[in-house]
Amino acid sequence: MADIATKGAISIRNVTKIYDPEGVNVMAVDNCSLEIAAGEVCMIVGPSGCGKTTLLNAIAGFHSITEGEILLDGELLCGPAKPLSEQGADRVVVFQNGALFPWKTLIDNVAYGPIVQGVMGKSEARDKAAGLLAEAGLGDVGKKFPGEISSGMARRAEIVRALINNPKVLLLDEPYRAMDSLTKSIMHEALLEVYDRTKVTIFFITHDLEEAIFLGDRVVVMTTRPAKTKKIVEVNIPRPRDYKTLSSEEFRLLVEETKDAVHEEAIKAFEAGERELA
Amino acid sequence: MAEQKSQPKLQQAPTGLALIFYKWKVSLKTPTPYLMAFGIALWIGTYYLLVEGWKLPRFNKLPGPVEVITEWLSRDPDWGISLYTPEYYDHIIVSCRRILIAFTIATGLGVPLGLFMGWSKTFRDYAFPLLETLRPIPILAWVPLAILMFSGLETPVIYLATLASLFVTILNTLLGVDSIDESYFRAANCLGSKPRHVFWHVVVPGSLPFVFTGLQISIGVAWFSLVAAEMVSGQFGLGYMIVDSYMNITYVTMVIGMLTLGFVGWISSVLVRMVGNRMMQWRVRAMALEGR
Repeated sequence: MADIATKGAISIRNVTKIYDPEGVNVMAVDNCSLEIAAGEVCMIVGPSGCGKTTLLNAIAGFHSITEGEILLDGELLCGPAKPLSEQGADRVVVFQNGALFPWKTLIDNVAYGPIVQGVMGKSEARDKAAGLLAEAGLGDVGKKFPGEISSGMARRAEIVRALINNPKVLLLDEPYRAMDSLTKSIMHEALLEVYDRTKVTIFFITHDLEEAIFLGDRVVVMTTRPAKTKKIVEVNIPRPRDYKTLSSEEFRLLVEETKDAVHEEAIKAFEAGERELA
Repeated sequence: MAEQKSQPKLQQAPTGLALIFYKWKVSLKTPTPYLMAFGIALWIGTYYLLVEGWKLPRFNKLPGPVEVITEWLSRDPDWGISLYTPEYYDHIIVSCRRILIAFTIATGLGVPLGLFMGWSKTFRDYAFPLLETLRPIPILAWVPLAILMFSGLETPVIYLATLASLFVTILNTLLGVDSIDESYFRAANCLGSKPRHVFWHVVVPGSLPFVFTGLQISIGVAWFSLVAAEMVSGQFGLGYMIVDSYMNITYVTMVIGMLTLGFVGWISSVLVRMVGNRMMQWRVRAMALEGR
């Protein structure tokens, strides 16, 4: 997995997305540009409904874009001639509400990617899956179904299911949203541990500013809809980080700085929402 | 260390017969079996009082529970049919055989059709309007057509039962595919699936809960329409037995036929549910953890 650190640079160039439900144009993303380096942990924060997920969906190939282009390691994912990027195992998504297949055991969930891609035989993939789950501390529950384990375990398993494919980019859409702060902190350390090992590029959407600064190399604050980059906060806290980082002065100052930018947008989003309702 | 040793060990989870026995033992500690027994006793008691006890008008013409059970268990039944006469089993076997054939055809056609309709929008656009036009036609309205189309007595009866359960199965399977969360399709796609993988690993297992709900309804509908068909055209079967005893004023046999039908129908439903639970262990286990 060592070679991954040199892969996974994302270029988002002048991307615009206009939705057209019921004949009314809604601009979700407006001329947004962002360069994410290979092996970077890029955290995206912004008001609800600002278009963060739209951007993730465009990278993953779930939605098309209206203008602009997105490149992965210099290769075009989507652009004017090809608005929808192809979905592929080089960009694996970890979903907001979790998307482990409930009808497959954890081992079968993790082994799924390599089997369907034809890179491994069934038993080889299962062995590898069992090994990776054990590394993530999930060795005992490999034969259980997702419905039988806690949400924290399920989320870790989902990240293992993504990583077995050696993706260039991990796309995470508020994966720890519904978790209590204790579980969250354990999940953060587990993710950082994975990152330190694989150096996979991470595109991480969140509402939680502390989470954003604790995990990220950069925190990108988006404007209220249509989304543009409002501010980029560089997080120069050295890695490896642990829970003690959370109480450092440096950390606190970065949270303050980000909070100011986000708060401004949150007020705008709130006022816009009020106007729409009025 | 000594303290650790004294801690109780986690027991091995029971399986197979031991599991059934364990579940049965646990259920005896809940009110469920007693309430079930009470419900049945209440029904029989009311039936007895209305018909044989108080002999209320309108009810006094019906055979009461004592009369029915005596006849049912009689080695020498007054009206010709009881647990000890081979004719009784002939009727049951004929009906069960018809249901088995009809249900197998309806499931074999209905599940794949429903899956494809749910999976392929193009196929749904072709087939859905037709399904929705044919589905509301009551099964009894198909009887003359079935008799015209098929020769003999057996095929029309099976055809009618098949048709009724086919519609239920298709519609429920289709709804089952619709019910699958979009994120599973997305997850499968971004893990590198080809369309056939999505079909076998997401569409099929994801729709199973609805499919089996549909199959339970469908087997009920199959019994319903089978009996209707046997009443109209048939020489054997529980439906025929009921209508024949009515014609011959052997009302006791008629009630025996009805109760038998209820019992056999219930068993067939339980069998479908058991197969469903066997195929959806993931769901059974998750629901067990929620105490359901």
